[in-house]
Amino acid sequence: MEYFKKVFKESIVIIIISSLMGLLSGIVLSTNQRILYALPIILLILPALNSLVGDMSTVSVSRLTTHLYIGIIPPKLKPSRRIKDDFIGLFITILLSLVVLISFGFIIGITTGIQIINPFLITFIIIITVTLLFFILFGALFISSIIIFRRGGDPNNFLIPFITSLADFLTPLLLIGFIIIFI
Amino acid sequence: MERQDTKGKIIKETFPSEIVSIFGDILAGIILIFLILPFKSFLLLILIIPALLSLRGNLSGPFIARTAKDLIIGEFNKRTWLENTFSTYTLSVVTAFLIGVSSIFLNLFLIKTEILNFEILILIPIMSMLLALSLSMPISTFLNRFAFKHGFNPNNVVGPIMTAVDDFFTVICFYFTLILLGVP
Repeated sequence: MEYFKKVFKESIVIIIISSLMGLLSGIVLSTNQRILYALPIILLILPALNSLVGDMSTVSVSRLTTHLYIGIIPPKLKPSRRIKDDFIGLFITILLSLVVLISFGFIIGITTGIQIINPFLITFIIIITVTLLFFILFGALFISSIIIFRRGGDPNNFLIPFITSLADFLTPLLLIGFIIIFI
Repeated sequence: MERQDTKGKIIKETFPSEIVSIFGDILAGIILIFLILPFKSFLLLILIIPALLSLRGNLSGPFIARTAKDLIIGEFNKRTWLENTFSTYTLSVVTAFLIGVSSIFLNLFLIKTEILNFEILILIPIMSMLLALSLSMPISTFLNRFAFKHGFNPNNVVGPIMTAVDDFFTVICFYFTLILLGVP
């Protein structure tokens, strides 16, 4: 039962904290519902946007963890070719995914009669939110993975639950922040 | 496998999975609106849903990543998989219980509705998570093994696809739980 004990011990605290953060993000969204209802297209694409940021962060962590376990990157806070390639590859993927997400969201919005106010500004706000989040999260994940691995832990167990909830919480928060600033 | 991943390979493997994830999530959102919105207790249910979707990601994401890691480093076997599954179930019951308890307090101090009793608020997250994980874990294991067997990096492919599948299952299982418990 070593595997079970390791997973349970490393995961339980962070899963509880991040699930409670999920409750918090529900409260944050409901308290800002007036802004979201004024721009209904944001409401339509918000779950997919949360997932996109969460997915790219999860892929980053699982790749970093595997790199560390099989020794492709050393457990040192030093950028390597492998890390740069991962960053560029995932960043291009996130930009391509955003094109699909925004286009699909707008098509669904138009076909269901949802009013799309200021589509260019909304597109700009979505791109700036996701780009900013990806830059911050990738850097933070790289540093955290190395620190956790050096201490003998599995970064997957700690960082994926934390980053998923953080993305769920930060995406609507930044989006609402930028909407308040720009619109 | 990881050593050979170029930028192009990362994009080629991750982007199609992400497209599936985007379509799945928009679908999950639409289903959520049509199935959950008509419930009288919607005001209370909407508090639990983000936490459940978050918990789904917190449990399923690491489960998939651990399976992928075990496959890549050659440690995947029946024992590791069973312990991985058992630990995910245990974590889900403990955390779903806490979500239920937290929602009781949020209801008492924030929403202040008496439409659902305490037992139901605790049972909803536990039952829906157990149902969703029972569907999700065998599928993600199959996809991980399939991707690995066919030369894909499971880390790049399986996670984003399972996000969409899991969000969909979570919403559907949440709905079935509400029906089973007779939630108004």
